[in-house]
Amino acid sequence: MTLDRAKPLMLPIGALLAFEGWARATHLQSDSLAPPSEIVAALAGALADHSILAATRDTLFATFAGLAIGSFIGLALGIAFGISDTLDRLMEVTVEAVRPVPSIALLPIALIALGFGYRMEIVIVAFACIWPILILSRAAVRSVEPRLMEVSRVLRLPAAQRVLKIIIPAALPRIFVAFRLSAGIALIVAVTVEIAINPLGLGAGIMLAQQALRPDLMLAYLVWIGAIGYALNMLLTVAQRRLFGRAALSGDSL
Amino acid sequence: MAIAAKRQEASVSPLAAPQLAFADATLALGGKTIIENLNLGVRPGEFLCIVGASGCGKTTALRLAAGLYQPTSGAVTFDGQPMLQPRREIAIVFQDYGKALLPWRTAAGNVSLALEAGGISVTERPARIDALLRKVGLPGHAEKYPAEMSGGMQQRLQIARCLAQEPKALLMDEPFGALDAMTRQGLQDEVLSLVAASNATVIFVTHDLDEAIYLGDRVVGLLPHPGRIGIELAVNLPRPRDQLATREHPEFLRLRRQLFDFIKATEQ
Amino acid sequence: MKGGAIIWRVASFAVAAGFIALWQLVANWKLVSPVFLPGPDRAWASLLRGFSSGDLWSKLIGTLEHMAYGWLAASIAGIAIGAMIGSSRPMRTYVAPSLEFLRPLPVSAIIPVAIAAFGLTQGMALLVIAFGAIWPIMLATIHGFAAVEPRLYEVARSLQMSRLAVIFKIALPSASPDILAGMRLSLTVALILSVVCEILAGLDGLGHWVLLSARAFRSADLFAGVILLGVTGYVTSVAMSLAERRLLAWQASQR
Repeated sequence: MTLDRAKPLMLPIGALLAFEGWARATHLQSDSLAPPSEIVAALAGALADHSILAATRDTLFATFAGLAIGSFIGLALGIAFGISDTLDRLMEVTVEAVRPVPSIALLPIALIALGFGYRMEIVIVAFACIWPILILSRAAVRSVEPRLMEVSRVLRLPAAQRVLKIIIPAALPRIFVAFRLSAGIALIVAVTVEIAINPLGLGAGIMLAQQALRPDLMLAYLVWIGAIGYALNMLLTVAQRRLFGRAALSGDSL
Repeated sequence: MAIAAKRQEASVSPLAAPQLAFADATLALGGKTIIENLNLGVRPGEFLCIVGASGCGKTTALRLAAGLYQPTSGAVTFDGQPMLQPRREIAIVFQDYGKALLPWRTAAGNVSLALEAGGISVTERPARIDALLRKVGLPGHAEKYPAEMSGGMQQRLQIARCLAQEPKALLMDEPFGALDAMTRQGLQDEVLSLVAASNATVIFVTHDLDEAIYLGDRVVGLLPHPGRIGIELAVNLPRPRDQLATREHPEFLRLRRQLFDFIKATEQ
Repeated sequence: MKGGAIIWRVASFAVAAGFIALWQLVANWKLVSPVFLPGPDRAWASLLRGFSSGDLWSKLIGTLEHMAYGWLAASIAGIAIGAMIGSSRPMRTYVAPSLEFLRPLPVSAIIPVAIAAFGLTQGMALLVIAFGAIWPIMLATIHGFAAVEPRLYEVARSLQMSRLAVIFKIALPSASPDILAGMRLSLTVALILSVVCEILAGLDGLGHWVLLSARAFRSADLFAGVILLGVTGYVTSVAMSLAERRLLAWQASQR
């Protein structure tokens, strides 16, 4: 059993060792590559002087602020469209016209309207998060057991109560899946905005390291960003399993 | 009638060497013996039915015959050669037709798969496909996807694909188990006439005792845990068989009683 | 029923037109500074001007080229590697978990690494786009190959099909819904990465165009570029849907 568990680890460990060995044997001099040992050292250094932690805080702040705003808008629209077929059909063309705009294309608009900083990044992240949440929560609301809707009608619940007491709880597992997917997107968009133009957070950090010709630090940032992405996904997957059980994971296919 | 008479002759000739034979075949999977010391020969052109309670290893025996499993000890031979892997001259009709057809190919495309595997040239295929679909009663359905067909039609299609292999032996694993009674009877008669025309050797696994007697030249009943032969009955009923006359024949009723008692005893 | 659908469609377009009219009013009354927000009239005029002078054409083609080359390279490599890993049990045990581990990595983070290695070049951009777009395709292919109905492999065995025939006639078609879904996801990734690379490396394309327009505060040109990017996203995704519907016609009948 332990061997089976170790099997998936053999490839990455082997690759790292081989790379380390190769880098040492050839006395690697490069602007883009560094042996794993130096990457680890650079990461330790950046952790020790808190620079990477501050950058992480900035990136995560923009990620979560954008995620919160985007989720709120996406959820509100998704529930409204899910309940009202009329509204959904009337808005179809508008939604289909705006949705395919790649979030990153808004970057220059946000830049001239809001300047560098958190605000423009948050706006772009929010825009990117709206769509998956909207579409998945709309589908979730539509698939709420019709019996439950009939129950709420028989009970003569007012619309607001119907949403709060019946629809949201019933659709919550699938809405959470949408939220988890959006969180991943939010992080990716935040880092991308920082790499492209915004001088803050992890994206700016990795660009600076590259421009300073510090491949060890650059790759340390890369590893760190990967770890953050992995941890975020892991955290939300565990939360999802805790909150809604394994069944919710089956709604994962996008 | 002539074909039926010939078959009758083949099935009663005890001297013919077996075409497909289990020789002390034993199969263990995951530390559990599923089949133990199975000795069974099937003569060329014979229609052999295997019955038994669920879990007696009848499907496993069929998979051994198909070469999908290798015996742990002993051997399974075909024309005297050990079966080390599946071969094209042995076709297998799976019970779950829904899983055994390619959902992305039309009826014609599914039949074509076997022709492609057999190296039949592109120009020859359409005529053969047409003839095969006609043979199994699916003319005019060539362009339908399996999902657009009923269960009975899908099973006919699977049989057509197996016939496209021009098999010397046809292995059928509860092929009609999931079908309703009417469809099942119709298909039983069609299989009988198709087999008579192709002269293939058949091993037919079923849990339906009436079906086994109705179709077979011989019926073998397996005992469970581990699977081994418990009873062997020769079916001396006239061919061609008839849904009404055969099933009312005294011999049919006698065999049915005998098999029924056997199965009942194994379940205790 | 069909007539009803058309009426809804018309109504839906009317609503969208209403939003554009609202945008026009906001711009006309200068509720937002025209430096940031041009009216739809100015954005439209800029679009026409850009196309008649040919400027916008070349930018559009630039972006489409980056996107298409990167995506095609990713599709071919992704399907090939995915098929290799997905059809072999040892590869699935040893390699696939590492790939799953890398999945949540924000792919744009490799841009600096690519720049360090290849400079601000076209090759760097294509590498980044292909690298970003390969993941959804490759992982979908691995998943699709692993999920092939085992009964079909048995059918293939009893037909004595060759390994190559099994891949092309059984595994690939069976995995095609997954693969196409992956390719659709990758299309979006490819467009976004094309824009980012154009912004960063100053490559000829719409990304560079919108950035320059923003720097010069030519908001009409900026919006023209963004609209064009939206159209690109829309048209490519519609084309992908059509291709999917055609290739997966057999699936429609399954439901």
